[in-house]
Amino acid sequence: MAQWGMVIDLQKCIGCYACVVACKQEHFLPPGVFWSRLVISETGKYPTVTKIMYPVLCNHCEDAICVKVCPTGATVKREDGIVSIDYNKCVGCRYCVVACPYQQRTYNANSNREYFPGQGLTEFELIGQRLYPLQKGTVVKCTFCLERVDEGLEKGLRPGVDREASPACVITCPAKARYFGDLDDPQSEVSCLIKEKKAAQFHPEYGTNPSVYYISR
Amino acid sequence: MRPYEWMVKYTSQTEWIKGRGMLFWIAFFFVELGAGMFLISSLFGNVIGEVIGWLICALLGGGFHLLYLGRPFRFYRMLLKPQTSWISRGFLFVSGFLALGAIHLALSFWASSNLGLLVVVAVLSFLAIIYGGFAMNYVNGIPLWNSALLPVLFAVAGLWGGAELSVAVLLLGGGMNEGLERLIQILLVGFALILPMYLISARYGLPAGKISVGEIVRGKWWPVFWGGVVVLGIALPLIITLGSLLAGLLVIPVELLYISILFGLLGDLVLRYLILKNGFYNPLVQASLSRHGKHG
Repeated sequence: MAQWGMVIDLQKCIGCYACVVACKQEHFLPPGVFWSRLVISETGKYPTVTKIMYPVLCNHCEDAICVKVCPTGATVKREDGIVSIDYNKCVGCRYCVVACPYQQRTYNANSNREYFPGQGLTEFELIGQRLYPLQKGTVVKCTFCLERVDEGLEKGLRPGVDREASPACVITCPAKARYFGDLDDPQSEVSCLIKEKKAAQFHPEYGTNPSVYYISR
Repeated sequence: MRPYEWMVKYTSQTEWIKGRGMLFWIAFFFVELGAGMFLISSLFGNVIGEVIGWLICALLGGGFHLLYLGRPFRFYRMLLKPQTSWISRGFLFVSGFLALGAIHLALSFWASSNLGLLVVVAVLSFLAIIYGGFAMNYVNGIPLWNSALLPVLFAVAGLWGGAELSVAVLLLGGGMNEGLERLIQILLVGFALILPMYLISARYGLPAGKISVGEIVRGKWWPVFWGGVVVLGIALPLIITLGSLLAGLLVIPVELLYISILFGLLGDLVLRYLILKNGFYNPLVQASLSRHGKHG
């Protein structure tokens, strides 16, 4: 069984937010809910200021703390490494939101929030609610676009190689800074990049063994 | 905090203290207070205190816990993961305590309760007291909570609060128990010693712990901490306790004892608020401190 993971090349990332928008569009996420984010900071003093950009998303950790703390078993780690949430089991205690040291989970307090307040849900938002029925009072997070991965595999496609089977943020990135693939396959692009470019996990000190790696500048 | 400062500056947790999260804070407090009162009352054979403790834990503790949940009708599902989840364990302890406690109380009133059953209920009530501290301690992203002293602090606070309420019940009935008074003195001194130890240990750990303690002790929460927790919540009860030791309990006016109990409980509640409110995460990407200031 494959272990899906991602590599993000910070040398290539231009901070355009395309991944953030693509993710929101792909999953019809309501206002205020982000599964993919861009954390931007600056270090140094003028004139030697450096801008630091880190695209962040759920790390689908090998030893995920959210899976451990979930009291209902709603958050599970699938055999292919993807950490997913069963909205029908989530009780909305938000222990996972608090426990995630990367803060990549969001409590969906109101799934009926409109993008244009007072004007009702748009046609796009209504379609989204049918396709991705997020439940009010549950926790949501990045799924590595598991529906694209699963459907792609059913069609015989290769996630990370074929666009149709790859996460939306990966295929949208105009700088091609994101790579997706099987971490267990030594020949996969992600495994080669991790080895050759010495890609590292984000804050490994939390001991969760993330499946998202970063190639530093 | 502005959106672009999220996880760039030290970011505090909000889910367990902001908006409906306030219910979680109150629920934690009442579960521990009620279970503590039941445990202390059972040790001193005070059945009325046991009933009140059970009711506080069930109605206020359990009630606020359920109100906090996003999907409260699925509460039974929380029994499913006690092997790894402290919330699940807590739910088991509290429901076990409430179910067996109800049987014990019913037997106490209408027949005679079994000592074995009482021991089991007492153990469950103690587990209900300590689970909140362990649930928070498990969160390794928040250094202020990820301290071994936090469960100890909350356990002592729960027992102390329970003992104080038991005294209040006894005082209302016109009686007093010297052993209980002695226990309160020990718990109060223990609480007063553990609190600074806990804050010092968090202060000298990870940077976010230093920020958290700084916010509580010297930052915008300092009047609440020093006034509400230290002076009214600890010092005042300590002075009254000392006075009762020197002059004898019966000499101290009852009103003063009630005030001491009230401020002691409020101090405990405020301290829990401060600990939940100032649970800061380490930033994912550190900002340049010279440009962005210390934190949000």
